[in-house]
Amino acid sequence: MSAVRCVNLCKTYRQGDQDIKALDHVSIEIDEGDFVCLSAPSGGGKTTLLNAIGGLDIPDSGEVYVAGGRIDNLSKGELADLRLKQIGFVFQAYNLIPVLTARENVEFVMQVQGVPSAERRDKSNAILKEVGLEGLETRRPGEMSGGQQQRVAVARAIASRPALVLADEPTANLDSKTADELMELFTQLNKHHNTTFVIATHDQRVMTYAGRLIRMLDGRIVDDIDQRAA
Amino acid sequence: MHLFGILLRLAWRNLWRNHRRTIIMLGAIGVGVWAMIFMTALTRGMVDQMITDSIGVLPGHVQMHHPDYRDDPSISNRVSISDAALNEKFDDADFEAWASRVRVPAVITSERESRGVTLLGVDPAAERDISFFDYDEVEGRFLESASDQGIVIGKRLAETLETEIGKRIVLMSQDPENDIADRGFRIVGLYSANTKAIEQAYAYIGKTTAQKMLRVDDATTEVVFLGEDYRNVEPVYEAVTSAVDDTVLVQRWFDIDTYLGTMLGVMDGFVLVWVVVIFLALSFGLVNTLVMAVFERVREIGLMLALGMKPASILGQILIESMFLLALGLAVGNFLAWATIVPLQDGIDISVVAEGMEMWGASSMLYPKLYASDMILASGVVLLLGFLASLSPAWRASRYEPVEAITKV
Amino acid sequence: MNLVFRLAWRNLWRHPRRTWLTTGAMVFSNILLVFMMSLQFGMYSLMIDNSLQIFTGHMQVQAPGYKDDQKMRQIVPDIVPLANEIRDELKSERVAARGWAFALASSEDRSFGIGVYGVEPEFEARVSNIPGLVSSGRYLTENNAAEIVIGTVLARNLRVEIGDELTLLGSGVDGSFAAAVVDIVGIFESGVTDIDRNIAEIPLGIFQDTFFMEGAGHQIVVVVDALDVVPEVQASVRSVLPVSSNLVVPDWDEMMPGLKQAIQADIGSSFFMYFILVVLVSFSVLNTQLMSVLERTREFGIVMALGLRPGKLGRLVLLETAMMGLIGTVLGAAAGAILTSWFTTNGLAFPGMDEMAAQFNLPARMFPQINLLTLLAGPAIVFMFTMLAAIYPAVRLRWQNPVDAMRVA
Repeated sequence: MSAVRCVNLCKTYRQGDQDIKALDHVSIEIDEGDFVCLSAPSGGGKTTLLNAIGGLDIPDSGEVYVAGGRIDNLSKGELADLRLKQIGFVFQAYNLIPVLTARENVEFVMQVQGVPSAERRDKSNAILKEVGLEGLETRRPGEMSGGQQQRVAVARAIASRPALVLADEPTANLDSKTADELMELFTQLNKHHNTTFVIATHDQRVMTYAGRLIRMLDGRIVDDIDQRAA
Repeated sequence: MHLFGILLRLAWRNLWRNHRRTIIMLGAIGVGVWAMIFMTALTRGMVDQMITDSIGVLPGHVQMHHPDYRDDPSISNRVSISDAALNEKFDDADFEAWASRVRVPAVITSERESRGVTLLGVDPAAERDISFFDYDEVEGRFLESASDQGIVIGKRLAETLETEIGKRIVLMSQDPENDIADRGFRIVGLYSANTKAIEQAYAYIGKTTAQKMLRVDDATTEVVFLGEDYRNVEPVYEAVTSAVDDTVLVQRWFDIDTYLGTMLGVMDGFVLVWVVVIFLALSFGLVNTLVMAVFERVREIGLMLALGMKPASILGQILIESMFLLALGLAVGNFLAWATIVPLQDGIDISVVAEGMEMWGASSMLYPKLYASDMILASGVVLLLGFLASLSPAWRASRYEPVEAITKV
Repeated sequence: MNLVFRLAWRNLWRHPRRTWLTTGAMVFSNILLVFMMSLQFGMYSLMIDNSLQIFTGHMQVQAPGYKDDQKMRQIVPDIVPLANEIRDELKSERVAARGWAFALASSEDRSFGIGVYGVEPEFEARVSNIPGLVSSGRYLTENNAAEIVIGTVLARNLRVEIGDELTLLGSGVDGSFAAAVVDIVGIFESGVTDIDRNIAEIPLGIFQDTFFMEGAGHQIVVVVDALDVVPEVQASVRSVLPVSSNLVVPDWDEMMPGLKQAIQADIGSSFFMYFILVVLVSFSVLNTQLMSVLERTREFGIVMALGLRPGKLGRLVLLETAMMGLIGTVLGAAAGAILTSWFTTNGLAFPGMDEMAAQFNLPARMFPQINLLTLLAGPAIVFMFTMLAAIYPAVRLRWQNPVDAMRVA
């Protein structure tokens, strides 16, 4: 069973008095355990596609399946549940809730899911250690560097062991060394937990980490390369 | 419950994120709530005093008369139950005090002046707890028995009549046959009251003496009953009504003095209006604070929604934050009210406007009354209306589209 | 428009919701202030007018001590000629002479002690509204007719009707026995129980004959058009008094000190409430302006780095506040004026007001009185406090270091 399947997705935005086709008959299928990069110039449709897969945005037409279930016809509440339980998110910035500490941010999703506190604490400690933030558990986002913040975000995204992690420009605000470290972390998690990663980026270096690289332009898939084969 | 825990934590921490704004708001709510309770306590104190004073003069919480007595307060309209029968009926009843008395209009004449007064023939032993003045504070002495031959009048009346203790006056009224009934009395005591009007109004003689003078055997015109609390006169009222038939008219204090009864109701209304007005003045600031708080946090709210938090939880989070703010403000306000009212409970001297207060029916000392029920009322209204006022900003926050909110710059 | 003005104006509308909420608080308070003050002052002038119009008038000519003691022998000699002189001096007909005596009024089967006024039928209606309140029969017409008008309650208590005879018994100015038989020609109803029960009026001629007054009376009542001319008229009246006499001319406040004090007490408590309202609005403004300054810290840092003095920015903040305050003042005063004028024509009543109103001789419906003072005083004070509240946020800018300010994200 594929992790993600999109059939004929279309999505048009209005910007000013111009219609922008963000998605123009896009169909893709992503296997479980894949490490996929979506690459496109700004406005190329990658974020829209990512949001459609994550149930944050409903396409105008077409179908989206996540873990075999169709999601484009779900209600808002059902979509929220889907995001909560099956998908991990890493955004470009403002990933963390400023008033919560690193650990509390990692535990956030689990807490909303209703995971008991002892279990939450064990998991969050383990994951923070895994992403290399041991000792920073009680810091608040404002007291951490950009790279550290993104690690917390990653830790949160994978804490509840989602089958699918969606990341939108996760390295955009990071220097190259930190970006590399983050991508190493992603690849490791992909290998160890067989988590499916879909990363939208226009950062060349990020793309080199991808097992599969999908290029988009003006809402259409123009290229789909399996880099592992190459 | 896990969810509620995280909502509480988020709300509490968010509240202190912009501590300046929160402190200003707390100040505003504190002052507002203080003003609500303080003003209410003053009003309550004034009305309480007014009513207690007036009931003291009335007197009693419940009175019984001949049905025609109100329109025609003459000895002809006597209570149809003889004094002996009244004693039998009520002597064992569970009242704070009760007394039967002769109350008729009369003319009092000294060597120099005449005035109209209300003649009261009383049994001093029965009236000790009902009387509005302390027998021991009467200048000279109060009546010693129902058959006392002396008369006690107000200080002011004595001045008007240019008379004094030891001097004689003549009291004139009518007997049941409408013949003039008059008698000379020696003044044995002068009483003081809160107002000059009361000191002019009543002349006390012994009940038996009065009955002899008016030639009515053991009949009386008024029976007064005192219960525990003027706010709860129904038990007394019911006990009295059930013991008598409709040859007499039984009335509660607020039936007799409708101004007082209305005053109590109007003041209750005023308290509520005042609380609501203050709240409305506060509500603009409260809503403003919440709107700003939500506005500043659009991205976080978007993030939480994107991560799968339900809109209802966002709504709850903002409402909890608002409730925290209000609860803290209420704590501040209630404490301030308590701290300012308690030292004033010995009374505030407002004698500069004494005669004006007399017009309102109040006395020149104001004793603020801090009732728990008023604090609860004010706090309840603030929480309830505050909750309603917070709904709109909270609702707006929960309606954000995660994608739009998260990318909002 | 000047650049600074334009800048301030645009800044104001960056957060329209916030600006409107803050102005909303001002508008709310202003409406309340305008309405309440108009109502209050409307009520006060009615209270004064109505209380004075019943009997007291704006000033009286009396023997010294009369206002406190009301004794028979404290007379104004040759009262009718003196009243005529005063009329000539003031060129006003609103001057009337009176006598007052206590008397026992007896009907066929009831007697009550009452106060009897001897009045000039021709002039009494110009100084008192009792003649206009005669609800059945007619008022007195002749100065020497043996006639009387009494209050409704007294009529009920005496069980008499128009056409019945009343016997008045009392003592004359010299202490001798005084008696008269008069016909009831009119019954008046003032609505104030005390007056309707205790007062009767007979022509001054009969009064002087009955009580052996020998041309004397007790009071000359003078009514003027407005309260503020009272002192002036008082002086003119004094100038007419015979040099040898020791007569005094107390004004209404001396005769009814309770009235002014009741008003003062009421003003005191309402000003406390107004003050609280204004303080709450100031909190709201303080909060908004502080937020608006804090969120622009970075922006301010940049312009300061460019060389703008912090003082200029402070003035910008004050200008923004002034604009906001002006909107609140204008809208609030306008809305307050509209609301108040509606009630000015339609009147305002609330449950329980009848009894309250009767206590103060007020009609059961209140009409607010709007004037420039009641319209502008409240909004002006709100505006002033608004500006005061903006001082802290504006001054705070001076402590700002441009580099620190720019670093704030």
